[in-house]
Amino acid sequence: MDFGNLFVMFITFTLINNVILNQFLGICPFMGVSKKSSSALGMGAAVTFVIVAASLVTYGLYYAVLEPLNLQYMDLITFILVIASLVQLVEMVIKKMSPSLYKALGVYLPLITTNCVVLNVTLNNISEGYNFAEMMTYALAIPIGFTLVLYIFSTIRERLDASNVPAAFQGNPIALIVAGIMALAFSGLAGLV
Amino acid sequence: MAAVLFFAGLAGIYALLYYLNHKTPLPEGCENIKAECEGCHDSSCALHPSHDQ
Repeated sequence: MDFGNLFVMFITFTLINNVILNQFLGICPFMGVSKKSSSALGMGAAVTFVIVAASLVTYGLYYAVLEPLNLQYMDLITFILVIASLVQLVEMVIKKMSPSLYKALGVYLPLITTNCVVLNVTLNNISEGYNFAEMMTYALAIPIGFTLVLYIFSTIRERLDASNVPAAFQGNPIALIVAGIMALAFSGLAGLV
Repeated sequence: MAAVLFFAGLAGIYALLYYLNHKTPLPEGCENIKAECEGCHDSSCALHPSHDQ
């Protein structure tokens, strides 16, 4: 196992090929849950948990069930059902075990079922032919990059609320301009690794 | 045949978890929590305010 390569992969998918700013996935939660930094962190934590759990389950299911039975063509429908089931399971467990965590995350959990980032990670784990270590690195790097960008964006939007923005740019227009500038800034990290 | 059985199994697991989740009572103080999401205005989203009416 080459830890150097895994580290480069982690940095690449967290900062350079960032899932929001470079791949333009997960834009709905990026715009919708970025008005408060606390909500952004809650969403990021929930997405991280679901992506790691979904990656582990779908990776195992693909190589232990779908491939031996020659059912590889069912990967998409299988992964969608696994993600939807996991979200239901996580919501139920949090409801029972930790009311305070449910209060913070519970309302965002149903959104994760339709978050294309989760499905993208599970499908890429298979199509890119990652081994287990690479799959885990990828499954951690993508949601950490998602959380980082979501949190930075939410802190900027909190400051924008107190700023004197021209009427035509208030709300989503100025937020999209900020997102564009953030994408430019992150593209400057391309030579990092 | 294996594909049908596999799909039925997965769909069954999802249906069971959905049912159990909706049967699980909400924790105290969480009955009226609302998302502060005004992002995409997708009316099919579970967080869209139209579902509260």
